[in-house]
Amino acid sequence: MTLRRALVASLLLALLLPACASGPKYSSLVATQPGVAPGQGRIYFYRPSALGTAVQPDINLNGQKVGTAKPHGVYFVDRAPGDCVVTAATETEKKLTFTLEPGQTRYVRLKMQLGVLVGRVVPELVDRNEAEEEMRDLSFIADPLK
Amino acid sequence: MVLGLTLGLAACAPEVVRRPEALAPMTGSPGSSIEILKEAKVEVGPGYRRTIWEGSVWTRVGRVSQGEVYRPVTHVFTVEGAHVHEAYLVLDGDRVVGFYLPVERAFSPAPDGPSTKLSIRRREP
Repeated sequence: MTLRRALVASLLLALLLPACASGPKYSSLVATQPGVAPGQGRIYFYRPSALGTAVQPDINLNGQKVGTAKPHGVYFVDRAPGDCVVTAATETEKKLTFTLEPGQTRYVRLKMQLGVLVGRVVPELVDRNEAEEEMRDLSFIADPLK
Repeated sequence: MVLGLTLGLAACAPEVVRRPEALAPMTGSPGSSIEILKEAKVEVGPGYRRTIWEGSVWTRVGRVSQGEVYRPVTHVFTVEGAHVHEAYLVLDGDRVVGFYLPVERAFSPAPDGPSTKLSIRRREP
């Protein structure tokens, strides 16, 4: 029985690990991040939880894919200031709207929520301090569209 | 069954009630600001509440027909229903009458009415 449990646990772990983001921690790279280009703003996207690992919807910003909701991953995009609409679709589509100003940095947490059939990803606008704390141990994804 | 019903209801959360509203922005010098002296909780959408934190600072950015519009300085603020929207406070004096959604350019009335009275300190620019 114990052996069976160990095998099941190992199998689950093997299934989960490749699905999570890997790579250098955000905290080790934050000081080396390039500054925001003049006239642009920056938006960080991060998913702190591994709950519902198999659910990794595309993350769209103003209708354009910018990455996926990779568990334990963080990435950013720089964009021109203006209105921003972030969407993440699983069994339903959840949308977040906010404004972006020149030189401003915004933080979007991709929160997992229970759904009827599959989990949902809810994009939430987060304060800088809270986001920096949550992103510290997440893996930085240099090319989120890969 | 209860869990299924709860999840089903969550899936069908209605949109935040709102109507188009033009913001008359502050002109000239920077607007005055307010500091919240006592934490308050407000309903912001069907089943969703937010905390207006003690010590948070909000700056006046303009006016809509329902009241003065204050944008958060020290944090972010959102309202939520089917979706999540960045929002500013709309105050009539020290009462929360609703929220201004800058992307939608719309006013969303406080779901529980203008019953939330804030304890604030006004700061002139």
